[in-house]
Amino acid sequence: MTDTIRDPNSNIADIDDEQLPVPEHRLHGPVHFLGLYGAEHVAATEFVIGAAFVAMGATIKDILIGLFIGNLLAALSFWLITAPIAVKTRLSLYTYIEQNLGELASRLYNGANVLIFVAISAAMITVSATAVRVLFEIPPQIYPYPTNIYFALIAGSASVIAVAVAYYGFNVVAEFATICTPWLMVMFTAGGMVLIPSLNEALTGYTTLASFSDFVSLAGTTVFTGINAEGRPGIGLWEVIGFAWAANTFAHFGLIDMALLRYAKKSVYGLCTVTGMMFGHYVAWISAALMGAATASIMKLSIAVVSPGDVAYYALGATGFVIVIIAGWTTANPNLYRAGLAAQAVFPEIPRQKVTLAVGAVVVVASCFPFIYRSILPILAYAGLVLVPIGGVVFAEQHIFPRLGYKSNWHRLKGVSNNKPALITWAVCLVFGFGLDSLDVIPFVYLFLPTWVVSIICYTVLAKPAGADKSYPEAEQREQEFDSKVKAYHARLATQESHAPVKDTSLLTTLIRAVWIVIGLLVPFVLAWRVLFNSPNLYDYYVNRELFYDLTIWCTLIYFVFAWWDLQRGKGLSSNQVTAEVVPAS
Amino acid sequence: MHGLKTVFLSGTTIFLGFAASLVQAQTSITIATVNNDDMVRMQALSANFTDANPDIKLNWVTLDENVLRQRVTTAIATNSGRFDVVTIGTYEVPIWAERGWLVPLDDMPEEYDIDDILPSIRSGLSIMGVLHAAPFYGESSFTMYRTDLFDEAGLEMPAAPSWDFIKEAAAAITDKSNEVYGICLRGKPGWGENVAFLTAMANSYGARWFDENWQPQFDSDAWANTLNDYLMLLNNYGPPDAALNGYNENLALFQDGKCGIWIDATVAASSLTNASQSRVSDSVGFALAPDNGLGKRSNWLWAWALAISAGSENQDAARRFVAWATSGEFTEFIAAREGWANVPPGTRASLYTNDEYLDAAPFAEMTLASIQAADPNDPTVAKVPYTGIQFVAIPEFQSIGTAVGHRFAKSLEGSISSEEALANAQWVTSKVMERARFLKE
Repeated sequence: MTDTIRDPNSNIADIDDEQLPVPEHRLHGPVHFLGLYGAEHVAATEFVIGAAFVAMGATIKDILIGLFIGNLLAALSFWLITAPIAVKTRLSLYTYIEQNLGELASRLYNGANVLIFVAISAAMITVSATAVRVLFEIPPQIYPYPTNIYFALIAGSASVIAVAVAYYGFNVVAEFATICTPWLMVMFTAGGMVLIPSLNEALTGYTTLASFSDFVSLAGTTVFTGINAEGRPGIGLWEVIGFAWAANTFAHFGLIDMALLRYAKKSVYGLCTVTGMMFGHYVAWISAALMGAATASIMKLSIAVVSPGDVAYYALGATGFVIVIIAGWTTANPNLYRAGLAAQAVFPEIPRQKVTLAVGAVVVVASCFPFIYRSILPILAYAGLVLVPIGGVVFAEQHIFPRLGYKSNWHRLKGVSNNKPALITWAVCLVFGFGLDSLDVIPFVYLFLPTWVVSIICYTVLAKPAGADKSYPEAEQREQEFDSKVKAYHARLATQESHAPVKDTSLLTTLIRAVWIVIGLLVPFVLAWRVLFNSPNLYDYYVNRELFYDLTIWCTLIYFVFAWWDLQRGKGLSSNQVTAEVVPAS
Repeated sequence: MHGLKTVFLSGTTIFLGFAASLVQAQTSITIATVNNDDMVRMQALSANFTDANPDIKLNWVTLDENVLRQRVTTAIATNSGRFDVVTIGTYEVPIWAERGWLVPLDDMPEEYDIDDILPSIRSGLSIMGVLHAAPFYGESSFTMYRTDLFDEAGLEMPAAPSWDFIKEAAAAITDKSNEVYGICLRGKPGWGENVAFLTAMANSYGARWFDENWQPQFDSDAWANTLNDYLMLLNNYGPPDAALNGYNENLALFQDGKCGIWIDATVAASSLTNASQSRVSDSVGFALAPDNGLGKRSNWLWAWALAISAGSENQDAARRFVAWATSGEFTEFIAAREGWANVPPGTRASLYTNDEYLDAAPFAEMTLASIQAADPNDPTVAKVPYTGIQFVAIPEFQSIGTAVGHRFAKSLEGSISSEEALANAQWVTSKVMERARFLKE
């Protein structure tokens, strides 16, 4: 398989784009990544993770400092670990594994991905179901398992629909997800603003906060109390840093985000992940935690058991249902799709429909169990632990091997089907990582660090006797020829593809944008601002809150209509330009 | 040297053995309590319990009322077992018991004498007739008045006055030029302040918060009459800035001789009759809270009680502690240490047959009568779907009550009319209930 893909005699144009490095003309600048990461990391998971930090008993000081440091470390990891390899290889990790680590590693890696993506998809569908359950008067699901048959039916039905959408309408949902980001950012912020006065009143008798220190005091007393759900002292600064850093381990140290960052013109654009880390994983997590605590206070329940649907409803009114369903589905959709693709890679001999259906069936069952979404943070951390050794292997090949005089692509040059040192390294690291976890030597969120180091050392040691330090002149010659052909092909492609950004300055487009920005985003934000800063007592708070609820749902509707219209107009203009450029050339 | 070593080793062995036996035998229970005087006193005297029960160690977590509510709710809702014993009021007990968060106290020791607990207090802390929290302190509300001013005005306070008589008396004894105000009532906004008073007053006017279908009833004539009379009394005969006065402010006014009549918590009586605290201690009389001839008086019922968390792993030890802290014996123990005037009142019938207590508390009989007249399970003239007299025992009440209280206070300030205040109350109650019922469990 390896030889076939990079055979210099093959027609490059016939090779799937995914198997080739990204051509230079398709690379993006920093603005693209700032937006992309902002979008990627504001999702339904934030509702759950925010509440998880409360249930784990972090203090407000640890949250404010720890989340900042942890997310900064995550952004630095994207910059220093992921982006350089992505920019150097211009390949996705899946392709890299397939081409450099062999078929078995690829299958195993995809198998692990199936499990992770299934868990994330199921969790997000359950989150959506917690909103829908309210409409059917189903009691809150406060236990790890479903306690109401109708909830299981709703979650199951939502999964069936989500699987069908992911299968047949992935592109529409993916496209829709792109316009959700600004709205999600505003709604996450607004939700916290709307519920702070209620939370403050329950504690102090006043709806207003006089200063930031009042906010810190409120959050420290009611939300981030330092006591976990079991009533014991909660996690400390190191754990908070670790959770924030580890929440995306599989993406940075695990290198999954090579798929995104391979399009970066420079590796420094890895720092653009800061939008996702500092908004989605800082502002949104804290806001979600405040919303959860306020809802728990209103419902006289614990934050550990209030559902995202209830939280969103109290924070945003009817818009809350929309946010939970949209945020849930737009997160579940790509993960379901990825799970399906990964499963097909594991079982290439089984027809695609059957594999997708099997994955879908697992998601349907898993989505009925609320414990999956409540455990999303540990699931993400352990997922990182499983995948990080592969990141270590690739890091060793790309950064250590050249310094030792080894060949980075030795396995492909040697022409063997399986990269045994990589497989052994992965196995050793799993035993090491989970063994360390069972010994409880360090917090599990930090296990990825020693495991990553071990994977680098282990692979470097094992690769040498396997032939990494040898020369393969014939194969290297073939590789060079192949790379030259790819360059030539990309140069040809660059002349055919439009790569200049289309600027639409028409009056209609300006009006459309003004409508979704002002009515869709600005008006709800101003209304939320009034709730927070112009509610001197509880009655005025309710008046302002009801106005926010009543208008925001209409603003949301207007936002999506106009933002979608804007998107479609932009697409239409782009395709017109491509057609105009391509036709004369042909 | 050898002998010394032997003695040292033997001593160490004995000490370690003793310590180990203590450690093995001791059960630790954690008690979450509010930082009021009675509960702090209980904590200070708890050595009496641990001396008699060396196998139990007490850990105390003392918090401000609002923080306590939030912490205890989280702990108890998650069944964490963090707190074995929690201090809660009559507002929480029905809500929490219904959710299965509290251990039913249906097997208290025989010597506890559960039948000695005053029936109305017991009823307020029971669900389906089963006690879910043991009362530590109980109170109702009644009418406190200045006997000297009544004598001067040639009035005699009936033991069970009507609102008409209160209006008449307040008018007769008001002397604003000398800073004597005919009546003092709670005006400060809050579910535990003006709303507690007005809800109890409204009960006697035939008003209610909700009908049997949970529809708010602030648009009724009964509520209009209640609020109009309340405003008339305070505007015409009350102290200035009455909307700023809560329990503490009115207590200070009465002690300073500036209130002719004050309808409020029975617990105030001891402060009014204490010569070291009150300028009018020798001229204070007591009567039942007023009524309107509809069969319900305007007195409320409240109790602080100790409950056992359903998540507690030490329920037997917790039960022994709760039984001790709310027993008649503990009351006697406090009396012996701190005097009868300082015992927590309002929970046991036997206290009100104790001559020493009756001597120390001249208001005791009227307190007992007020508590006995309160029925939290049948608080209103017309039928209602809720329990509670000065509150509605539903989770949403605290926030609705405070919001409504703000509108009533505005109307007392004169910023809005009573019609507008009631319309606002109707709106906010409907909205909050609509949302809460939408997410109903």
